Amino acid sequence: MAVAALPSTNTAARRAFGPTTARIVAGFVILAFWEIVARLAAPDFVAKPSGIIAAIPSVITSPSFLEAAWITIAATAEGLVAALILGTALGLFVGRSVIADRALRLWVNSFNAMPMIVALPLMSLWFGYTSAARFATIIFAAIFAVIINAAEGAQSVPKDYLEVAGSFRASRLRVLFEVVVPASTPYLLAGLRLAAGRALIGAVVAEFFLAIPGLGYFILFHSRTYHQNEAFVAVLLLAGFGVGCDVLITAATRRYLPWYRRDERTD
Amino acid sequence: MRAALSRHGPFLLSLSGGLALWEIVGRNTSEAFMAPLSETLVRLVQLTEAGKLVPQVESSLALFVTGFVAALVVGMPLGLLFARVRLLREAFDVYIMILYATPMVALIPFILSLMGFGFAPKVLVVFLFAVFPILYNTVEGARSIRPELIEVARSYRSSEWALWREVMVPYTLPFVMTGVRQAIGRALVGMIAAEFFLSATGLGALIMTASQSFDTAGVFAAILIIGVLGVGLMHIGTMLEAHFARWRH
Repeated sequence: MAVAALPSTNTAARRAFGPTTARIVAGFVILAFWEIVARLAAPDFVAKPSGIIAAIPSVITSPSFLEAAWITIAATAEGLVAALILGTALGLFVGRSVIADRALRLWVNSFNAMPMIVALPLMSLWFGYTSAARFATIIFAAIFAVIINAAEGAQSVPKDYLEVAGSFRASRLRVLFEVVVPASTPYLLAGLRLAAGRALIGAVVAEFFLAIPGLGYFILFHSRTYHQNEAFVAVLLLAGFGVGCDVLITAATRRYLPWYRRDERTD
Repeated sequence: MRAALSRHGPFLLSLSGGLALWEIVGRNTSEAFMAPLSETLVRLVQLTEAGKLVPQVESSLALFVTGFVAALVVGMPLGLLFARVRLLREAFDVYIMILYATPMVALIPFILSLMGFGFAPKVLVVFLFAVFPILYNTVEGARSIRPELIEVARSYRSSEWALWREVMVPYTLPFVMTGVRQAIGRALVGMIAAEFFLSATGLGALIMTASQSFDTAGVFAAILIIGVLGVGLMHIGTMLEAHFARWRH
Protein backbone atom coordinates (compact mmCIF):
# COMPACT_ATOMS: atom_id res chain seq x y z
CA MET A 1 0.00 0.00 0.00
CA ALA A 2 1.25 3.44 -0.75
CA VAL A 3 1.25 5.14 2.62
CA ALA A 4 2.54 8.42 1.31
CA ALA A 5 1.38 11.43 3.23
CA LEU A 6 4.56 13.37 2.58
CA PRO A 7 5.29 15.09 -0.70
CA SER A 8 8.87 13.84 -0.46
CA THR A 9 8.13 10.14 -0.11
CA ASN A 10 7.35 9.31 -3.67
CA THR A 11 6.65 5.62 -3.72
CA ALA A 12 6.80 3.52 -6.82
CA ALA A 13 3.04 3.26 -6.86
CA ARG A 14 2.74 7.01 -6.87
CA ARG A 15 5.16 7.45 -9.70
CA ALA A 16 3.30 4.89 -11.76
CA PHE A 17 -0.12 6.47 -11.18
CA GLY A 18 -0.53 10.20 -11.34
CA PRO A 19 -3.76 11.56 -9.85
CA THR A 20 -5.51 11.50 -13.23
CA THR A 21 -4.67 7.88 -13.88
CA ALA A 22 -5.66 6.99 -10.34
CA ARG A 23 -8.98 8.76 -10.78
CA ILE A 24 -9.75 7.00 -14.03
CA VAL A 25 -8.83 3.63 -12.56
CA ALA A 26 -10.98 4.35 -9.51
CA GLY A 27 -13.88 5.31 -11.76
CA PHE A 28 -13.62 2.04 -13.62
CA VAL A 29 -13.37 0.11 -10.36
CA ILE A 30 -16.58 1.74 -9.10
CA LEU A 31 -18.44 1.05 -12.35
CA ALA A 32 -17.17 -2.52 -12.59
CA PHE A 33 -18.15 -3.22 -8.99
CA TRP A 34 -21.64 -1.83 -9.60
CA GLU A 35 -22.01 -3.81 -12.84
CA ILE A 36 -20.91 -7.10 -11.27
CA VAL A 37 -23.07 -6.73 -8.16
CA ALA A 38 -26.08 -5.74 -10.26
CA ARG A 39 -25.60 -8.71 -12.59
CA LEU A 40 -25.03 -11.27 -9.88
CA ALA A 41 -27.31 -10.19 -7.09
CA ALA A 42 -30.08 -8.02 -8.50
CA PRO A 43 -33.08 -8.54 -10.76
CA ASP A 44 -32.73 -7.79 -14.45
CA PHE A 45 -34.50 -4.43 -14.44
CA VAL A 46 -32.03 -2.86 -11.99
CA ALA A 47 -29.95 -0.02 -13.41
CA LYS A 48 -26.37 -0.95 -14.24
CA PRO A 49 -23.61 0.99 -15.99
CA SER A 50 -23.76 -0.96 -19.27
CA GLY A 51 -27.52 -0.52 -19.46
CA ILE A 52 -27.34 3.17 -18.58
CA ILE A 53 -24.69 3.87 -21.19
CA ALA A 54 -26.74 2.00 -23.78
CA ALA A 55 -29.82 4.03 -22.78
CA ILE A 56 -28.14 7.44 -22.97
CA PRO A 57 -28.45 8.10 -26.75
CA SER A 58 -32.14 7.27 -26.99
CA VAL A 59 -33.03 9.07 -23.74
CA ILE A 60 -31.23 12.33 -24.39
CA THR A 61 -32.79 12.62 -27.83
CA SER A 62 -36.31 11.77 -26.70
CA PRO A 63 -38.64 14.77 -26.55
CA SER A 64 -40.19 13.65 -23.26
CA PHE A 65 -36.80 13.69 -21.51
CA LEU A 66 -35.75 17.01 -23.01
CA GLU A 67 -39.02 18.57 -22.00
CA ALA A 68 -38.80 17.18 -18.46
CA ALA A 69 -35.21 18.40 -18.13
CA TRP A 70 -36.10 21.84 -19.39
CA ILE A 71 -39.09 22.12 -17.04
CA THR A 72 -37.14 21.13 -13.95
CA ILE A 73 -34.07 23.21 -14.67
CA ALA A 74 -36.11 26.26 -15.62
CA ALA A 75 -38.27 25.87 -12.50
CA THR A 76 -35.19 25.52 -10.31
CA ALA A 77 -33.57 28.58 -11.89
CA GLU A 78 -36.77 30.60 -11.55
CA GLY A 79 -37.24 29.67 -7.91
CA LEU A 80 -33.58 30.26 -7.20
CA VAL A 81 -33.63 33.74 -8.71
CA ALA A 82 -36.73 34.64 -6.71
CA ALA A 83 -35.18 33.27 -3.52
CA LEU A 84 -31.97 35.11 -4.26
CA ILE A 85 -33.62 38.49 -4.77
CA LEU A 86 -35.97 38.21 -1.82
CA GLY A 87 -33.42 36.52 0.40
CA THR A 88 -30.62 38.97 -0.30
CA ALA A 89 -32.87 41.94 0.38
CA LEU A 90 -34.11 40.43 3.63
CA GLY A 91 -30.66 39.23 4.61
CA LEU A 92 -28.99 42.59 4.08
CA PHE A 93 -31.78 44.19 6.07
CA VAL A 94 -31.30 41.73 8.93
CA GLY A 95 -27.55 42.22 8.74
CA ARG A 96 -27.65 46.03 8.77
CA SER A 97 -30.47 46.66 11.22
CA VAL A 98 -30.10 45.61 14.84
CA ILE A 99 -33.86 45.63 15.35
CA ALA A 100 -34.51 43.46 12.30
CA ASP A 101 -31.75 41.12 13.43
CA ARG A 102 -33.27 40.71 16.87
CA ALA A 103 -36.80 40.33 15.54
CA LEU A 104 -36.09 37.90 12.71
CA ARG A 105 -32.89 36.00 13.50
CA LEU A 106 -34.60 33.41 15.68
CA TRP A 107 -37.18 32.65 13.02
CA VAL A 108 -34.76 32.57 10.11
CA ASN A 109 -32.49 30.15 11.97
CA SER A 110 -35.41 27.98 13.01
CA PHE A 111 -36.82 27.75 9.51
CA ASN A 112 -33.36 27.04 8.18
CA ALA A 113 -32.96 24.10 10.58
CA MET A 114 -36.30 22.65 9.49
CA PRO A 115 -36.22 20.02 6.73
CA MET A 116 -37.98 22.07 4.07
CA ILE A 117 -39.82 19.20 2.52
CA VAL A 118 -42.24 19.13 5.46
CA ALA A 119 -43.87 22.11 3.75
CA LEU A 120 -44.91 20.01 0.75
CA PRO A 121 -48.32 18.89 2.03
CA LEU A 122 -49.08 22.49 2.97
CA MET A 123 -47.95 23.74 -0.42
CA SER A 124 -50.25 21.23 -2.08
CA LEU A 125 -53.10 22.44 0.13
CA TRP A 126 -52.37 26.07 -0.69
CA PHE A 127 -51.54 25.87 -4.37
CA GLY A 128 -53.01 22.55 -5.43
CA TYR A 129 -51.07 19.95 -7.37
CA THR A 130 -49.57 22.56 -9.69
CA SER A 131 -46.25 24.01 -10.71
CA ALA A 132 -47.01 26.96 -8.42
CA ALA A 133 -46.66 24.59 -5.48
CA ARG A 134 -43.27 23.51 -6.83
CA PHE A 135 -42.22 27.14 -7.24
CA ALA A 136 -43.18 27.89 -3.64
CA THR A 137 -41.36 24.76 -2.40
CA ILE A 138 -38.18 25.74 -4.23
CA ILE A 139 -38.27 29.25 -2.78
CA PHE A 140 -38.94 27.92 0.69
CA ALA A 141 -36.09 25.42 0.33
CA ALA A 142 -33.56 27.96 -0.88
CA ILE A 143 -34.36 31.28 0.75
CA PHE A 144 -33.20 30.76 4.34
CA ALA A 145 -29.68 29.82 3.32
CA VAL A 146 -29.57 33.03 1.25
CA ILE A 147 -30.88 35.19 4.09
CA ILE A 148 -28.42 33.78 6.63
CA ASN A 149 -25.41 34.23 4.37
CA ALA A 150 -26.43 37.72 3.22
CA ALA A 151 -26.92 38.78 6.84
CA GLU A 152 -23.55 37.36 7.80
CA GLY A 153 -21.99 39.17 4.85
CA ALA A 154 -23.60 42.48 5.73
CA GLN A 155 -22.38 42.15 9.30
CA SER A 156 -18.86 41.39 8.21
CA VAL A 157 -18.42 44.67 6.30
CA PRO A 158 -15.38 46.37 7.89
CA LYS A 159 -16.38 49.35 10.05
CA ASP A 160 -13.70 51.51 8.38
CA TYR A 161 -15.46 51.28 5.01
CA LEU A 162 -18.73 52.42 6.53
CA GLU A 163 -17.02 55.24 8.41
CA VAL A 164 -15.28 56.52 5.29
CA ALA A 165 -18.54 56.34 3.34
CA GLY A 166 -20.23 58.16 6.21
CA SER A 167 -17.67 60.93 6.39
CA PHE A 168 -18.14 61.55 2.67
CA ARG A 169 -21.86 61.90 3.39
CA ALA A 170 -22.79 59.00 1.15
CA SER A 171 -26.53 58.33 1.03
CA ARG A 172 -27.81 55.14 2.64
CA LEU A 173 -28.68 53.71 -0.76
CA ARG A 174 -25.21 54.32 -2.12
CA VAL A 175 -23.64 52.84 1.00
CA LEU A 176 -25.80 49.78 0.47
CA PHE A 177 -25.01 49.28 -3.20
CA GLU A 178 -21.44 50.51 -3.30
CA VAL A 179 -20.08 49.32 0.03
CA VAL A 180 -22.24 46.68 1.68
CA VAL A 181 -23.16 44.57 -1.34
CA PRO A 182 -19.65 44.39 -2.86
CA ALA A 183 -18.10 43.66 0.53
CA SER A 184 -20.50 40.81 1.17
CA THR A 185 -20.19 39.19 -2.28
CA PRO A 186 -18.27 36.15 -1.03
CA TYR A 187 -21.00 35.44 1.49
CA LEU A 188 -23.67 35.92 -1.16
CA LEU A 189 -21.87 33.41 -3.36
CA ALA A 190 -21.57 30.92 -0.50
CA GLY A 191 -25.30 31.34 0.09
CA LEU A 192 -26.04 30.87 -3.60
CA ARG A 193 -23.97 27.68 -3.71
CA LEU A 194 -25.93 26.23 -0.84
CA ALA A 195 -29.27 27.51 -2.10
CA ALA A 196 -28.74 26.01 -5.57
CA GLY A 197 -28.33 22.52 -4.12
CA ARG A 198 -31.37 22.90 -1.93
CA ALA A 199 -33.48 24.37 -4.74
CA LEU A 200 -32.72 21.36 -6.90
CA ILE A 201 -33.70 18.96 -4.12
CA GLY A 202 -36.86 21.00 -3.58
CA ALA A 203 -37.78 20.76 -7.27
CA VAL A 204 -37.27 16.99 -7.46
CA VAL A 205 -39.10 16.30 -4.20
CA ALA A 206 -41.98 18.54 -5.27
CA GLU A 207 -42.29 16.63 -8.54
CA PHE A 208 -42.34 13.30 -6.68
CA PHE A 209 -44.96 14.55 -4.30
CA LEU A 210 -47.17 16.52 -6.66
CA ALA A 211 -46.73 14.20 -9.65
CA ILE A 212 -46.26 17.14 -12.01
CA PRO A 213 -44.06 16.91 -15.13
CA GLY A 214 -40.29 17.28 -14.73
CA LEU A 215 -37.17 15.21 -14.13
CA GLY A 216 -38.37 14.02 -10.72
CA TYR A 217 -41.54 12.66 -12.26
CA PHE A 218 -39.56 11.25 -15.20
CA ILE A 219 -37.46 9.26 -12.71
CA LEU A 220 -40.49 8.15 -10.74
CA PHE A 221 -42.42 7.04 -13.82
CA HIS A 222 -39.58 5.17 -15.50
CA SER A 223 -38.37 3.41 -12.38
CA ARG A 224 -41.92 2.28 -11.63
CA THR A 225 -42.31 0.85 -15.11
CA TYR A 226 -39.05 -1.08 -14.79
CA HIS A 227 -37.05 1.24 -17.03
CA GLN A 228 -34.44 1.99 -14.40
CA ASN A 229 -31.62 2.55 -16.88
CA GLU A 230 -33.61 5.30 -18.59
CA ALA A 231 -34.54 6.78 -15.22
CA PHE A 232 -30.91 6.81 -14.16
CA VAL A 233 -29.93 8.99 -17.10
CA ALA A 234 -32.09 11.67 -15.48
CA VAL A 235 -30.26 11.14 -12.18
CA LEU A 236 -26.99 11.72 -14.02
CA LEU A 237 -28.31 14.99 -15.40
CA LEU A 238 -29.41 16.09 -11.92
CA ALA A 239 -26.01 15.16 -10.50
CA GLY A 240 -24.36 17.07 -13.34
CA PHE A 241 -26.48 20.11 -12.61
CA GLY A 242 -25.65 19.92 -8.88
CA VAL A 243 -21.93 19.48 -9.48
CA GLY A 244 -21.96 22.14 -12.22
CA CYS A 245 -23.45 24.79 -9.91
CA ASP A 246 -20.97 23.87 -7.20
CA VAL A 247 -17.93 23.97 -9.47
CA LEU A 248 -19.03 27.18 -11.19
CA ILE A 249 -19.57 29.08 -7.96
CA THR A 250 -16.37 27.81 -6.37
CA ALA A 251 -14.42 28.74 -9.50
CA ALA A 252 -16.01 32.20 -9.58
CA THR A 253 -15.07 32.74 -5.94
CA ARG A 254 -11.48 31.70 -6.62
CA ARG A 255 -11.20 33.75 -9.77
CA TYR A 256 -12.83 37.00 -8.71
CA LEU A 257 -12.43 36.92 -4.94
CA PRO A 258 -9.11 35.16 -4.48
CA TRP A 259 -8.50 36.79 -1.10
CA TYR A 260 -11.58 35.18 0.33
CA ARG A 261 -10.88 31.76 1.76
CA ARG A 262 -14.11 29.87 1.83
CA ASP A 263 -14.46 28.26 5.20
CA GLU A 264 -16.49 25.11 5.57
CA ARG A 265 -19.59 26.68 7.04
CA THR A 266 -21.71 26.04 4.03
CA ASP A 267 -24.54 23.76 4.95
CA MET B 1 -33.22 39.94 37.08
CA ARG B 2 -32.61 43.00 35.01
CA ALA B 3 -29.51 41.56 33.40
CA ALA B 4 -31.38 38.38 32.56
CA LEU B 5 -34.20 40.42 31.05
CA SER B 6 -31.96 42.50 28.82
CA ARG B 7 -30.13 39.38 27.71
CA HIS B 8 -33.17 37.26 26.98
CA GLY B 9 -35.57 40.13 26.31
CA PRO B 10 -35.09 40.37 22.53
CA PHE B 11 -35.30 36.61 22.17
CA LEU B 12 -38.53 36.39 24.14
CA LEU B 13 -39.98 39.39 22.32
CA SER B 14 -39.15 37.92 18.93
CA LEU B 15 -40.54 34.54 19.95
CA SER B 16 -43.81 35.91 21.31
CA GLY B 17 -44.13 38.34 18.37
CA GLY B 18 -43.80 35.53 15.85
CA LEU B 19 -46.22 33.31 17.72
CA ALA B 20 -48.73 36.16 18.00
CA LEU B 21 -48.42 36.77 14.26
CA TRP B 22 -49.10 33.08 13.64
CA GLU B 23 -52.24 33.28 15.81
CA ILE B 24 -53.53 36.44 14.11
CA VAL B 25 -52.88 35.26 10.56
CA GLY B 26 -54.34 31.85 11.38
CA ARG B 27 -57.54 33.36 12.74
CA ASN B 28 -58.02 35.60 9.73
CA THR B 29 -57.48 33.07 6.97
CA SER B 30 -59.59 30.19 5.81
CA GLU B 31 -59.44 27.12 8.03
CA ALA B 32 -58.44 25.03 5.05
CA PHE B 33 -55.24 27.04 4.61
CA MET B 34 -53.90 27.70 8.02
CA ALA B 35 -54.53 26.84 11.64
CA PRO B 36 -53.82 29.40 14.35
CA LEU B 37 -51.31 28.57 17.07
CA SER B 38 -54.00 27.93 19.68
CA GLU B 39 -55.75 25.32 17.54
CA THR B 40 -52.42 23.73 16.66
CA LEU B 41 -51.54 23.39 20.32
CA VAL B 42 -54.96 21.95 21.15
CA ARG B 43 -54.51 19.44 18.33
CA LEU B 44 -51.05 18.62 19.65
CA VAL B 45 -52.49 17.82 23.07
CA GLN B 46 -55.25 15.74 21.47
CA LEU B 47 -52.74 13.79 19.42
CA THR B 48 -50.61 13.16 22.48
CA GLU B 49 -53.57 12.03 24.55
CA ALA B 50 -54.76 9.75 21.77
CA GLY B 51 -51.32 8.14 21.88
CA LYS B 52 -50.59 9.08 18.27
CA LEU B 53 -47.75 11.52 18.74
CA VAL B 54 -45.18 9.85 20.98
CA PRO B 55 -44.88 6.56 19.02
CA GLN B 56 -44.49 8.51 15.77
CA VAL B 57 -41.77 10.72 17.24
CA GLU B 58 -40.01 7.61 18.53
CA SER B 59 -40.29 5.91 15.17
CA SER B 60 -38.84 8.94 13.35
CA LEU B 61 -36.02 9.31 15.85
CA ALA B 62 -35.16 5.61 15.58
CA LEU B 63 -34.89 6.01 11.81
CA PHE B 64 -32.82 9.18 12.12
CA VAL B 65 -30.43 7.79 14.72
CA THR B 66 -29.90 4.45 12.94
CA GLY B 67 -29.15 6.07 9.59
CA PHE B 68 -27.03 8.80 11.11
CA VAL B 69 -24.92 6.48 13.27
CA ALA B 70 -24.37 4.21 10.26
CA ALA B 71 -23.20 7.26 8.27
CA LEU B 72 -20.83 8.26 11.05
CA VAL B 73 -19.45 4.75 11.54
CA VAL B 74 -18.80 4.38 7.81
CA GLY B 75 -17.95 7.96 6.89
CA MET B 76 -15.42 8.88 9.50
CA PRO B 77 -13.01 5.90 9.32
CA LEU B 78 -13.30 5.80 5.55
CA GLY B 79 -12.57 9.52 5.37
CA LEU B 80 -9.51 9.12 7.59
CA LEU B 81 -8.29 6.19 5.53
CA PHE B 82 -8.66 8.24 2.36
CA ALA B 83 -6.84 11.05 4.09
CA ARG B 84 -3.94 8.90 5.19
CA VAL B 85 -3.47 6.96 2.00
CA ARG B 86 -2.81 9.62 -0.53
CA LEU B 87 -3.27 7.40 -3.55
CA LEU B 88 -6.76 6.41 -2.44
CA ARG B 89 -7.63 10.01 -1.70
CA GLU B 90 -6.53 11.27 -5.07
CA ALA B 91 -8.30 8.41 -6.77
CA PHE B 92 -11.65 8.90 -5.05
CA ASP B 93 -11.91 12.57 -4.08
CA VAL B 94 -13.67 13.58 -7.30
CA TYR B 95 -16.28 10.89 -6.83
CA ILE B 96 -16.89 11.86 -3.22
CA MET B 97 -17.33 15.46 -4.32
CA ILE B 98 -19.77 14.42 -7.06
CA LEU B 99 -21.83 12.32 -4.67
CA TYR B 100 -21.73 15.13 -2.13
CA ALA B 101 -23.33 17.47 -4.68
CA THR B 102 -25.81 14.94 -6.09
CA PRO B 103 -29.40 15.33 -4.88
CA MET B 104 -29.84 11.95 -3.16
CA VAL B 105 -33.64 12.24 -3.24
CA ALA B 106 -33.45 11.25 -6.89
CA LEU B 107 -32.39 7.75 -5.80
CA ILE B 108 -35.47 7.11 -3.68
CA PRO B 109 -37.56 5.52 -6.48
CA PHE B 110 -34.71 3.07 -7.19
CA ILE B 111 -34.38 2.17 -3.52
CA LEU B 112 -38.13 1.67 -3.37
CA SER B 113 -38.25 -0.76 -6.26
CA LEU B 114 -35.17 -2.64 -5.05
CA MET B 115 -35.80 -2.88 -1.33
CA GLY B 116 -39.51 -2.25 -0.90
CA PHE B 117 -41.21 -0.78 2.12
CA GLY B 118 -39.35 -2.02 5.21
CA PHE B 119 -37.18 -0.24 7.74
CA ALA B 120 -33.90 -1.01 5.95
CA PRO B 121 -34.57 1.01 2.75
CA LYS B 122 -35.50 4.03 4.87
CA VAL B 123 -32.31 3.71 6.87
CA LEU B 124 -30.43 3.53 3.58
CA VAL B 125 -32.02 6.82 2.47
CA VAL B 126 -31.02 8.59 5.72
CA PHE B 127 -27.55 7.03 5.45
CA LEU B 128 -27.08 8.25 1.86
CA PHE B 129 -28.17 11.77 2.80
CA ALA B 130 -25.80 11.89 5.78
CA VAL B 131 -22.68 9.98 4.78
CA PHE B 132 -21.27 12.24 2.07
CA PRO B 133 -21.05 15.45 4.10
CA ILE B 134 -19.15 13.49 6.77
CA LEU B 135 -16.89 11.79 4.25
CA TYR B 136 -16.29 14.99 2.29
CA ASN B 137 -15.40 17.08 5.33
CA THR B 138 -13.21 14.38 6.89
CA VAL B 139 -11.17 14.06 3.70
CA GLU B 140 -11.06 17.84 3.35
CA GLY B 141 -9.85 18.18 6.96
CA ALA B 142 -7.23 15.48 6.73
CA ARG B 143 -6.00 16.96 3.47
CA SER B 144 -5.18 20.13 5.35
CA ILE B 145 -3.01 18.42 7.98
CA ARG B 146 0.31 20.18 7.80
CA PRO B 147 2.90 17.77 6.40
CA GLU B 148 5.38 18.99 9.01
CA LEU B 149 3.25 17.46 11.75
CA ILE B 150 3.50 14.05 10.15
CA GLU B 151 7.16 14.60 9.39
CA VAL B 152 7.93 15.42 13.02
CA ALA B 153 5.93 12.42 14.20
CA ARG B 154 7.86 10.29 11.74
CA SER B 155 11.26 11.58 12.79
CA TYR B 156 10.41 10.59 16.36
CA ARG B 157 9.72 7.12 14.98
CA SER B 158 6.06 7.36 15.79
CA SER B 159 4.17 4.16 15.11
CA GLU B 160 1.31 4.23 12.61
CA TRP B 161 -1.19 3.76 15.45
CA ALA B 162 0.30 6.66 17.45
CA LEU B 163 0.31 8.84 14.35
CA TRP B 164 -3.41 8.26 13.91
CA ARG B 165 -4.18 8.76 17.57
CA GLU B 166 -2.00 11.81 18.20
CA VAL B 167 -2.08 13.64 14.86
CA MET B 168 -4.64 12.46 12.34
CA VAL B 169 -7.72 12.08 14.52
CA PRO B 170 -7.32 15.18 16.73
CA TYR B 171 -6.47 17.36 13.76
CA THR B 172 -9.35 16.13 11.64
CA LEU B 173 -12.01 16.08 14.35
CA PRO B 174 -13.14 19.72 13.96
CA PHE B 175 -13.68 19.15 10.26
CA VAL B 176 -15.56 15.94 10.99
CA MET B 177 -17.80 17.96 13.29
CA THR B 178 -18.56 20.40 10.47
CA GLY B 179 -19.54 17.36 8.44
CA VAL B 180 -21.64 16.10 11.35
CA ARG B 181 -23.52 19.38 11.54
CA GLN B 182 -24.22 19.34 7.81
CA ALA B 183 -25.15 15.67 7.99
CA ILE B 184 -27.69 16.33 10.77
CA GLY B 185 -29.52 18.78 8.52
CA ARG B 186 -29.43 16.47 5.54
CA ALA B 187 -30.37 13.37 7.51
CA LEU B 188 -33.49 15.17 8.71
CA VAL B 189 -34.48 15.85 5.11
CA GLY B 190 -33.71 12.22 4.31
CA MET B 191 -35.82 11.05 7.23
CA ILE B 192 -38.89 12.99 6.10
CA ALA B 193 -38.32 12.08 2.44
CA ALA B 194 -38.12 8.38 3.36
CA GLU B 195 -41.29 8.66 5.43
CA PHE B 196 -43.11 10.45 2.63
CA PHE B 197 -42.05 8.36 -0.34
CA LEU B 198 -41.27 4.90 1.05
CA SER B 199 -43.68 3.47 3.60
CA ALA B 200 -45.44 6.21 5.55
CA THR B 201 -44.35 6.04 9.17
CA GLY B 202 -43.38 8.43 11.95
CA LEU B 203 -43.81 12.17 11.74
CA GLY B 204 -43.91 12.07 7.94
CA ALA B 205 -46.95 9.78 8.11
CA LEU B 206 -48.53 12.09 10.68
CA ILE B 207 -48.29 15.02 8.26
CA MET B 208 -49.53 12.94 5.34
CA THR B 209 -52.60 11.55 7.06
CA ALA B 210 -53.47 14.97 8.49
CA SER B 211 -53.18 16.68 5.10
CA GLN B 212 -55.16 13.95 3.36
CA SER B 213 -58.05 14.47 5.77
CA PHE B 214 -57.70 18.28 5.42
CA ASP B 215 -56.85 18.53 9.09
CA THR B 216 -54.79 21.71 8.83
CA ALA B 217 -54.22 21.94 12.58
CA GLY B 218 -52.84 18.41 12.50
CA VAL B 219 -50.44 19.33 9.69
CA PHE B 220 -49.22 22.35 11.61
CA ALA B 221 -48.90 20.32 14.81
CA ALA B 222 -46.66 17.78 13.06
CA ILE B 223 -44.62 20.52 11.37
CA LEU B 224 -44.18 22.26 14.72
CA ILE B 225 -42.79 19.08 16.27
CA ILE B 226 -40.45 18.51 13.33
CA GLY B 227 -39.34 22.14 13.54
CA VAL B 228 -38.56 21.84 17.26
CA LEU B 229 -36.75 18.57 16.58
CA GLY B 230 -34.76 20.19 13.76
CA VAL B 231 -33.79 23.22 15.83
CA GLY B 232 -32.77 20.99 18.75
CA LEU B 233 -30.66 18.64 16.63
CA MET B 234 -29.09 21.55 14.76
CA HIS B 235 -28.23 23.12 18.09
CA ILE B 236 -26.45 19.95 19.15
CA GLY B 237 -24.54 19.99 15.85
CA THR B 238 -23.48 23.61 16.22
CA MET B 239 -22.41 23.02 19.83
CA LEU B 240 -20.36 19.98 18.86
CA GLU B 241 -18.72 21.97 16.10
CA ALA B 242 -17.96 24.92 18.36
CA HIS B 243 -16.64 22.60 21.07
CA PHE B 244 -14.18 20.85 18.80
CA ALA B 245 -13.25 23.95 16.81
CA ARG B 246 -11.95 25.89 19.81
CA TRP B 247 -8.37 25.69 18.67
CA ARG B 248 -8.97 25.73 14.93
CA HIS B 249 -7.45 28.89 13.49
